[in-house]
Amino acid sequence: MDAKKIEQLTKKADQIGKLDTKQVMTWCDGCGNYGIQNALKRAIVLENIEQQKLLQCFDIGCVGNESDKVECYTIHGLHGRVLPLAVGAKIANPELTVIASAGDGGTFSEGVNHLVHAVRNDYPILFLLHDNENYALTTGQATATTPKGQVRNGTPDGVAQDPLNPLQFVLSLGPSFVAQTLSANVNHMTEVFQKALRHKGFAFVEILQTCPTYNKQCPNEWYAERVFEVEKLKNYDCRDIWQARKIVAETGKFPIGVIYENLQKKNFLETVPHREKRKTTLIEEVAHTDITKFLGKL
Amino acid sequence: MIRTRLKIVGQSGSGLLTAGELVADSLKELGYEICTDREYPSLIKGGTSCFTINFSDQPVRSLSKTADILVAIDKPCLLEYFPTLKKEGILVHGYERLAGIKEILDQAKQKKIKVVACQAREIAEQSGGTVLMANIILTGLVWGVLGLDLKIMQNIVEKKFAKKFWLPIAIKCLQAGFASVDKKESLVLPKPKPQPRIMLDGNHALSLGAIHGGMRAYIAYPMSPASSILTHVAQMAKDTGVLVKQAEDEITAAQMVVGASFAGTRSMTATSGGGYDLMTETVSLAGIIENPLVIVCVQRPGPATGLPTWTGQGDLNMVTYSAHGEFARIVLSVSDPTDAFDLIQHAFNLSEKYQTPVVVLSEKVIAESQMTIPNFDLKKIKIERGLVTGKDLDKLESSDRYKITKNGISLRWLPGSSGPHYFANGDEHDEEGRIDETEEAGDMYAKRMRKVDTIKKELPEPEVFGSKKAKISFIGWGSSKGVMLDTIANNKDVNYLHVTYLHPLRTEKIKKFMQENKNVHLIEGNYEGQLGNKIEGETGQKFKGKLLKWNGRQFFTEDVEEYIKKSN
Repeated sequence: MDAKKIEQLTKKADQIGKLDTKQVMTWCDGCGNYGIQNALKRAIVLENIEQQKLLQCFDIGCVGNESDKVECYTIHGLHGRVLPLAVGAKIANPELTVIASAGDGGTFSEGVNHLVHAVRNDYPILFLLHDNENYALTTGQATATTPKGQVRNGTPDGVAQDPLNPLQFVLSLGPSFVAQTLSANVNHMTEVFQKALRHKGFAFVEILQTCPTYNKQCPNEWYAERVFEVEKLKNYDCRDIWQARKIVAETGKFPIGVIYENLQKKNFLETVPHREKRKTTLIEEVAHTDITKFLGKL
Repeated sequence: MIRTRLKIVGQSGSGLLTAGELVADSLKELGYEICTDREYPSLIKGGTSCFTINFSDQPVRSLSKTADILVAIDKPCLLEYFPTLKKEGILVHGYERLAGIKEILDQAKQKKIKVVACQAREIAEQSGGTVLMANIILTGLVWGVLGLDLKIMQNIVEKKFAKKFWLPIAIKCLQAGFASVDKKESLVLPKPKPQPRIMLDGNHALSLGAIHGGMRAYIAYPMSPASSILTHVAQMAKDTGVLVKQAEDEITAAQMVVGASFAGTRSMTATSGGGYDLMTETVSLAGIIENPLVIVCVQRPGPATGLPTWTGQGDLNMVTYSAHGEFARIVLSVSDPTDAFDLIQHAFNLSEKYQTPVVVLSEKVIAESQMTIPNFDLKKIKIERGLVTGKDLDKLESSDRYKITKNGISLRWLPGSSGPHYFANGDEHDEEGRIDETEEAGDMYAKRMRKVDTIKKELPEPEVFGSKKAKISFIGWGSSKGVMLDTIANNKDVNYLHVTYLHPLRTEKIKKFMQENKNVHLIEGNYEGQLGNKIEGETGQKFKGKLLKWNGRQFFTEDVEEYIKKSN
């Protein structure tokens, strides 16, 4: 981390601290969630997002157990449904910064349809995929991202199918922002989260998350050896969808950083008909609406 | 009350809907009270369809099974619907190959049915149109049979097809059809005393009510017979600025409504039974995080796809008891367009005030039956949000949001409206919204359940119609109200108790009604008598009999008349 960033963070240490609760953490020692939470708090403060205008929505599972461990408005929703829940709040009040977090189970099994349409609609929220390659809170069953052959609770003979590649999947849907980072690197996560928070559409961020209890094959070191930063690549253009699709298809390695960005895509709110000229939000508009014009036609 | 009962039948795509609408609009213009309905199978073209119009100079709130006049556009529908034409009725058709319908014409003779016919296709072609204009010819023909003013109908046709190049041909066809009737044979109908009336169906009324009541976001997935709410709200979006979103499925729609309501706007979704199935987990979430959630469930018979374009009252138990866990919810039912307009506004108020899901039950027959009603009272229902606002926001603490209170209601304020933040936790939680798995977590559970009694005390009691000294009494809900009111208008020996708020159920008045009236029967559009069972279970009173129907058709006036006869 550069000295400037350290200075920034030191100055804002109080603000970051304000996001802490007094709740006792309930994650395992070495869980990737600790780093994710720290990085997210830093990013929120560095981006000057007001605590009162921040809504974090959580799927269930280990990620959901953060829902009462960060001081802001939160909703702890249902398995697989965090995207439409978060989107509902955002489209009602665009002044809120809305962050939705879910694991690989909720994102690619229970609620994969929501992801497809969240990308397609380009709803302006930040989505954090906590990908630890298992259902951890139900004691480590296999998910759609568990590598083939790995043994999990419930698949003692190893997973028979090839895993789904989240980034390949999302890039095939015409997204506006796709990034990857890893839970072992708080600084990298902080930077990626900051960029994602600045994005005006649907920001999809996959976090390669370590799970020391149920995914022992992939500790922090394992990921650290296999990641490479796309920003440091010569000639890598994150506006080029085909470069992005190619780079995420490589097996055995993980590109990190902003992999793809499309600044031309209109987000959902920019496409809603008949609201272009409204300066008020749907929240402020709750009142009797004049319907006499319609009654006259009956 | 004497009503004229008209059925226009034809295959889907034959233009029967246009003919029906022209007749209904023209009757309304003349000041008649009207009730209409569409019967059609779940397909786009073909099949047998019927547009029924009952009208009178007195209010009409339900339909008859039989017709005084049957207008047949094509043969398959003539065969299907001929048995519903009463003895000495009038058959209007445009069929030229009479040998092909000889059997029907013989039966008509036996039933002393008058046949009024013209060669519709030929006249259409002579008038410069195509066979597709046969419906307009028949519209003119039936208008002549009714003995009503052609000018009125002509104006309606001109208005409806103002932008069509073939308007002059349509007018010619209408006139030709009208001219084919010997006016000496026309009916002489009582002239109505015109009252200010609007005519619309239940889904349209509900859409208007929601917008009037402050709904700013409508999110739904198409499902018959709820889909036209999406159409109506979307068509009004240009003028109202309501955000309309067709979601990827019903789960999404319900979740987005929870999110939007959490953020603080008024939002709702509508579906039918199958879509509601998918929404139930979200209803449960709204229950525990004490969030407003308004869902309209327009019923059609199930299970599964069931009878997609027909009506019923089979989903009361589902919306009352589905979704995991115990929590307070409110179920109410609309009975007609006026109700739909008013009750959707109450639903928003109740859902925000009690911070809990509200289900508004409607039925296909209410959703699609056009009815003449007095104009809506726009000042009747105020918007009540139950929110902390203004200076009170400064006094709040996070723990106020889920404070354990006597009546089960805690303070609610909107995210970002200053005031402290809170955790809306789908896990069991303490007053701060923090996950709580201690034994004391039961206190929060009980707090939420105390809302049931609070709500029950504040909901309106059921309404009683008809004489106090009736020989036979009925209890029902939803669309049964229309047919019961029409029955009472003709029969002083009948009274009726109508339940609008179905859950939690207030039983004091029901119990009293069942004790004071000695011959109380249930009228309900399902097999089990779901409300009946609930009433018997909660009051200890027994019904003398049950008039039940589950074949996709609404209660017709004859159903009730015959049941009363049988029960005497």
